[in-house]
Amino acid sequence: MVTLVDPANPPSRKAPLVWAIGAAIPWAMLAVAQVVWFVLDARLGWLHAVAAAATVVGVVTFVVVAPLWRYRVHRWEVGAQAVYTRSGWLVQERRIAPISRVQTVDTHRGPLARLFGLADVTVTTASSAGAVRIVALDSEVADRIAAQLTDIAAIGDRDAT
Amino acid sequence: MLLVHPVHEVLGQVPLLIGAVVLGTATGNAMWSVAVLVLMIVYGLARWFTTTYRIDAEQIQRREGVLQRSVLSVPRNRIRSVSTDARVLHRLLGLTVVKVSTGQEAKGDAGFALDAIRSDEVPALRALLIADSPPDALEAGVEASAPERVLARWQPSWLRYSPLSFTGLATIAAAFGVIYQTGAVAALEDSPLARQGLDAAERFGVVATVVVAVLFVLTLGVMLSVVRSLITFGNLVLSRRDEVLHLQHGLLRVREHTYDMRRLRGGTIRQPLLVRAFGGARLDAVMTGVDGAGEASLLLPPCPSATAESVLTELIGQQDAVTGALRHHGPAATRRRWTRALTFPALLVVGLGTTAVVATVPAWAWVLCGVVIAAGVFLAADRSRALGHRVGDGWLVARSGSLDRRRDCLEAAGIIGWTARQTLFQRRAGVATLIAATPAGVKGYRVLDVPADLAWSVAAAASPWVADCDWTRETAHS
Repeated sequence: MVTLVDPANPPSRKAPLVWAIGAAIPWAMLAVAQVVWFVLDARLGWLHAVAAAATVVGVVTFVVVAPLWRYRVHRWEVGAQAVYTRSGWLVQERRIAPISRVQTVDTHRGPLARLFGLADVTVTTASSAGAVRIVALDSEVADRIAAQLTDIAAIGDRDAT
Repeated sequence: MLLVHPVHEVLGQVPLLIGAVVLGTATGNAMWSVAVLVLMIVYGLARWFTTTYRIDAEQIQRREGVLQRSVLSVPRNRIRSVSTDARVLHRLLGLTVVKVSTGQEAKGDAGFALDAIRSDEVPALRALLIADSPPDALEAGVEASAPERVLARWQPSWLRYSPLSFTGLATIAAAFGVIYQTGAVAALEDSPLARQGLDAAERFGVVATVVVAVLFVLTLGVMLSVVRSLITFGNLVLSRRDEVLHLQHGLLRVREHTYDMRRLRGGTIRQPLLVRAFGGARLDAVMTGVDGAGEASLLLPPCPSATAESVLTELIGQQDAVTGALRHHGPAATRRRWTRALTFPALLVVGLGTTAVVATVPAWAWVLCGVVIAAGVFLAADRSRALGHRVGDGWLVARSGSLDRRRDCLEAAGIIGWTARQTLFQRRAGVATLIAATPAGVKGYRVLDVPADLAWSVAAAASPWVADCDWTRETAHS
């Protein structure tokens, strides 16, 4: 019987904040739209109440619960032979890929992530079902991992299929 | 080729041609239609004069384009499979389209096709492309190689599985959709013909009319399926010469695929419910550089399952992987099959029950409900029976499904990533879905609902790099 212990490293401490802001933007727009609707047309009070309740539930779930939950789940580690991550909240995944089969290493920074100095690292292999994503890392950590992986993988000396 | 391009150009531009004819009649000057037709033929001829291909030691290259030139080159060591496709017009003229497939297939891109090569040049060309050897080895290579061995040959009895597919019904639905799109149905609705039909139906009785209509559609569907299967797969031959696998099929439109056996990473035996009920199975190849779903990877159409199994055994040389007993996934996985299959019937019963309290529910609704429950029970039992995996001897085998049962046999050396996925419910049930990532076939092969504490043992047994990695811990109990 074999088990895998969890990878060691958590994402950046700013990750939950960035995830929460990212989720809050669309929900805020929805809330504003509801307020406008209420101001323009205040009939059908029960419908407004239902919509407001749904919004509150959505905000609590996606802006408060999900980021904290994800922060507790997300872990990553780059070993001597493999990259190993754990991610998700309702649906959780552990994914491992051997460094010898890595084809590309990308870093990606979204607008919000750049504001807070975060970056994602995507490690792709020849299989589209095998890409490993390490999300919400501190920018310098992400660059260090990318450089380290590119070094070990010695990408380009064979086609890795 | 001089004929094929202009004719296909004209056929491919039928809407434009109709437009030209309409323009010609509308302006009262037939010269417009003739001019458009001539332009199209000239364009087709120009394509022939401007398209060339060449094969050198390193790559195969195609130059084409009338107004804008494009050069497409493929390194020869990246060629994974070669297929040919001869439609009726091509065959009449003794021509063939040769398609070359590499590892990375861009979506929506036509890939590398050499349209209209003379058929007698094709075997040499194919041997040259797939052999990964320089052109001068060609003359010696083709003749001297081992004799071709036939693995499977199409039998007329295979046709008995084809009425059991839904392709015929799908064809009818598609045809009806097209007819509906053109507005023909809307026009029919008010026509005397439709009114007569309605009158006849009223005289005949609604139930009888529906039964007759359903029987008619079913019969038509079965006939279409059989005919389509006969035309597509008639005289199918699967053969092997050394490391090259060769598949040829089709009565009217002849298609040939040549695969490099070194790229074979396993196979999938698929048994759709209706085919399985009659002891049939179909076989798909799991191969790098070949799309895992659809026609590209097909090795055998529905045929007796013994045939599919013996051919796969022959290809991968592992009897155990193809027919060996599987390790079942235990009570938690079975329980999940039952809850999932019976949730909808349960909701239906509750819904009907609540309705029955306030209003009368017609008898047929209860009968329907019973049928749904029976189907759910069957599905749950069948799906839990199917669930299983086997790992060892360098092979990973996973079986699942009922309506579309599949047994994936995957060479463990080809696995380049593992994912263990757990939904909230899977965590509570203590099971996980294990996904083996590979560059071949459909890229991700799932082992459904493995007991969670067993999941990484399976991965470690298949891939030594998982067993050796920094996070692996051996636990005491077996």
